Amino acid sequence: MYQIVQKEQFSENVVKLVVHAPRIARSRKPGHFIILRIDEKGERIPLTIAEANIEAGTITLVVQNVGVSSKRLCAMNVGDQILDLVGPLGKATHISEVGTVLACGGGVGIAPLLPIVEGFKKAGNRVVTVLAARTKELIILEKEIRQWSDEVIIMTDDGSYGTKGLVTQGAEEIIKREKVDECVTIGPAVMMKFVALLTQKYEIPTQASLNAIMVDGTGMCGACRASVGGQTKFTCIDGPEFNAHQIDFDELILRLGGYKAEEKQAWERANS
Amino acid sequence: MASLTTQFFGIELKSPVVAASCSLTGNIEQIENLAKAGAGAIVLKSLFEEEIDAQLQEELSERKALEPDPEYMDYFDYIIKDENLKNYTNLIKQAKQAVDVPVIASVSCISASDWVVFSRKLEEAGADALELNLFLLPADISRDSAANEQFYFNAITKVLENVGIPVTIKISHYFSNLGQMIQKLSKTGIAGITLFNRFYAPDIDILNEQVVTADVLSQVSDYQMPLRWIGLMADQVDCPLAATTGVHTAETAIKMLLAGAGVVQVASVLYQEGPDYIAKMNEQIKSWMDKKGYDRINDFKGKLANKKKDVVIYERAQFMKYFGGKSYS
Amino acid sequence: MKEYLKIERDQEWRDQLRKKIKNKERTTQERVSMTSLDPMERIKYQDREVNLGLNMEQAQREASRCMDCVNPTCIEGCPVSINIPKFIKNIERGEVLEAAKTLKETSALPAVCGRVCPQEKQCEAQCFYTLKLKKEPVAIGYLERFAADFEQQSGAVSVPETAPKKQVKVAAIGSGPASLSFAGDMIKLGYDVTVFEALHEVGGVLKYGIPEFRLPNHVVDVELESLAKMGVKFERNFIVGRTASFDDLKAEGYQAFFVASGAGLPRFMNIPGENYNGILSSNEYLTRVNLMNAAKEEFDTPVLKGQNVAVIGGGNTAMDSVRTAKRLGAERAMIIYRRSREEMPARVEEVLHAEEEGIEFLNLNNPVEYFADENGRVSKMRVQRMELGEPDASGRRRPVVVEGSEYDIPVDVVVVAIGVSPNPLVPSELPELKVSRWGTIEVDPETMQSSKPELFAGGDIVRGGATVILAMGDGRKAAAGMHKYLSQKNETAAN
Repeated sequence: MYQIVQKEQFSENVVKLVVHAPRIARSRKPGHFIILRIDEKGERIPLTIAEANIEAGTITLVVQNVGVSSKRLCAMNVGDQILDLVGPLGKATHISEVGTVLACGGGVGIAPLLPIVEGFKKAGNRVVTVLAARTKELIILEKEIRQWSDEVIIMTDDGSYGTKGLVTQGAEEIIKREKVDECVTIGPAVMMKFVALLTQKYEIPTQASLNAIMVDGTGMCGACRASVGGQTKFTCIDGPEFNAHQIDFDELILRLGGYKAEEKQAWERANS
Repeated sequence: MASLTTQFFGIELKSPVVAASCSLTGNIEQIENLAKAGAGAIVLKSLFEEEIDAQLQEELSERKALEPDPEYMDYFDYIIKDENLKNYTNLIKQAKQAVDVPVIASVSCISASDWVVFSRKLEEAGADALELNLFLLPADISRDSAANEQFYFNAITKVLENVGIPVTIKISHYFSNLGQMIQKLSKTGIAGITLFNRFYAPDIDILNEQVVTADVLSQVSDYQMPLRWIGLMADQVDCPLAATTGVHTAETAIKMLLAGAGVVQVASVLYQEGPDYIAKMNEQIKSWMDKKGYDRINDFKGKLANKKKDVVIYERAQFMKYFGGKSYS
Repeated sequence: MKEYLKIERDQEWRDQLRKKIKNKERTTQERVSMTSLDPMERIKYQDREVNLGLNMEQAQREASRCMDCVNPTCIEGCPVSINIPKFIKNIERGEVLEAAKTLKETSALPAVCGRVCPQEKQCEAQCFYTLKLKKEPVAIGYLERFAADFEQQSGAVSVPETAPKKQVKVAAIGSGPASLSFAGDMIKLGYDVTVFEALHEVGGVLKYGIPEFRLPNHVVDVELESLAKMGVKFERNFIVGRTASFDDLKAEGYQAFFVASGAGLPRFMNIPGENYNGILSSNEYLTRVNLMNAAKEEFDTPVLKGQNVAVIGGGNTAMDSVRTAKRLGAERAMIIYRRSREEMPARVEEVLHAEEEGIEFLNLNNPVEYFADENGRVSKMRVQRMELGEPDASGRRRPVVVEGSEYDIPVDVVVVAIGVSPNPLVPSELPELKVSRWGTIEVDPETMQSSKPELFAGGDIVRGGATVILAMGDGRKAAAGMHKYLSQKNETAAN
């Protein structure tokens, strides 16, 4: 059992949970994710690790209420126990000293971006981060991101915070202003698609971290397959990060909707 | 100075000397050397259907000590295909990155089966064109010639359905009505036909009385067969022709161009003389053109083709009185 | 081994039993037939076992068919060398608990093997009836299941004796049949055994893969409990190499490892359209239903319920998938297999059961491409007809394409069950470990020791794909190999 030791409500549908998982806190690296199951009836939910505290033996997860199980997870409180939690899964982000790194995060994608930003900063890079969301309250972990960024640009769709506009507008400004050596992007698939198109135009190597549908997270089910450079890859063991310029985002977007009808039914059942 | 620019594979090439599919073109370092030497295009080493099957059979017979569940081996051919395909697409990608001359993928198939659809993957990997090396040894006496010919058309149709890049084919001369076959093939929508491919051939060792592998490289005089058919067909086809087998010198290359070929594909001579030999051939073709006053390949390409059937030698089959005055006395 | 069999056979009760009925009488009896649930009834339930088992009378009568041969060839057909005549004769004389004990001498999972082993290719293929009399073999599998179930139901589950504790820690990675069999042997030898499982449930393929209509979970659970009673520890949600590294575990006192992490990666055919929604691996399909209970409304995990479900493949996994599809309400549940019925690797009984349940068999057909609707959901598949050509190197006739024979089949769910590849998770954490080009760990086939002396391996990760019983055989060999290795090592250290 894995106890929730801290909870913070970021917005109506986004929650930060700090969970006791000492082994994982010790072994995780930026880019890694975990899979948890709240109880006997829960789904196995993949979540990227935002932060870890080795001394306290905890990991930080950011959860968005998008389905039946995640809704139940968001409703859990400090002191509650999560039945199963396994990890760290996936390949760690390849972090090295490259010069200037542009990090683009959108929505809950900001959470997995945090350890990567931290990693690049610690490796001696200049890090410029663009955070984007629909509206102000969906910009999360800003303080933590600022701690590891040389500069942070905020973009909101409705202009309620930072500059009004899309992540790509903020990113392009930076690219035009200074030499960017590498770009990392995490967020909704559509957002990553446009970031990838942008950086491809400027020939900047770009990594995108995918959030695919998964069951086991260890390569067994193949639900998370994605086409990268014309080859089928499994997000859970070959990823979650891939060369953004080679990802077939349109296929990814279609695949993310693979269980939409079933999820809707379950949602209606759960809420009726 | 004369320009060597010519057309084949549906693209413009800066030289009519093309590195044919061979083991040299399966190695990235050699591919770079060939490009540096001035090859008009590089046809990568073939992805062989036959070889893939041989690997499968080997795998099936090897697994004895820790025998797997039959379920595991049931579709193992797909794993082998996949591995070969992965290696091949990587080769295409590497080649595309390393050189700026057109990179042509080559598939060698003995059946028009489902895997021809894999050609799509070669296109996705960035190949500029695709050469289908089609070969059916007409030795299966249960199949008639119509069935054999149909195999070629099926394969072409399937591949054309699957890819957008130009597709050329390389064929052998084993057809009962070669001229008509070449003409029919040229009307299928392909971007070129290469005459003729060379095969692994048997020979006999009389000392040990054993069947052995014949000399693997072509001979200098082997060019006569493709020369005749290029000359005969160049003006009767709807797509460009390329010549291969026995093209060892600039002189032979020029002959092929005069007969009507758009390019020549060379392999054996590269093994003998090294990749740099292409530079030498290019130089010699240029100096011949300069001497003759040709500015472009098109100025003389097909000049000696069998136009209006006036160059009868292409059609002549018997020596007749050629040897008439000669004797061994 | 031979001597042990002879001593056992020479026991008085066996001798008397043999004399009780004349061989001629034994051989004239018909093989027992298994009673099963009505097909139209059973397809309504994912978790009702199809085969109902034998009753005492049926079992004893069937046991009496066995002639207790001097040279019991059946044992040679068993990868874990169960003393088959001994357990069968115990059933015949009514000592069923003794029979169960006999099974447990060499098999950690008799109730499982009695259900999922391809007996027709193993013990029963080597039975005197099959080999010499050209008659139906003794129903060894049914009898094994009978004895194991009898013991489970009796409540008097015997816990095999274990040697004095050695205080030597060993780890088994993965909790499928290979690991369980390894753990059973090692715990008997007195080792301190911990089984590490990545998923939230122990049992590996027995839990996530094989459906309950073929192998009920409670049957597996009893076997697991019996191992736990013997002292085997189970760690769930733990990926060795990730959650903790091999070095971490060595520092915690583990002296040797048995890697049986299974065949992780489902294979696909890499044909156009295969990534459309609605096309999934049998692993995903079966895991959702078996492990995550997706068929039950009160569980959160969804599963795709198709009207026209095509399952690609001809093995047991394909049969499990297609029968699951039927149980999830498919109108048309089809097997698409490119060879003929005879070449299908599935157990004969599963194919028969599938047929009874209304599964369509499209043999000599093979998919070449998938097409989708505007939402990216698969809507039809293009298949090609095949014919059988020359035998390949394994002796099976190879499928050859019938050119120009393509046609389309409407489908809304496609399950690809063409096999799996070894799970790279463990090998990738040990770069110096010798693996084949296909990702399987290379081992000495006798001791199952890998290129790293303290690391042994077995099951799918070594063979690519193994049946439950082959995996169990590997587990036993590895236990013997590791025991020898550790004994020598610790002896040297002591001196």
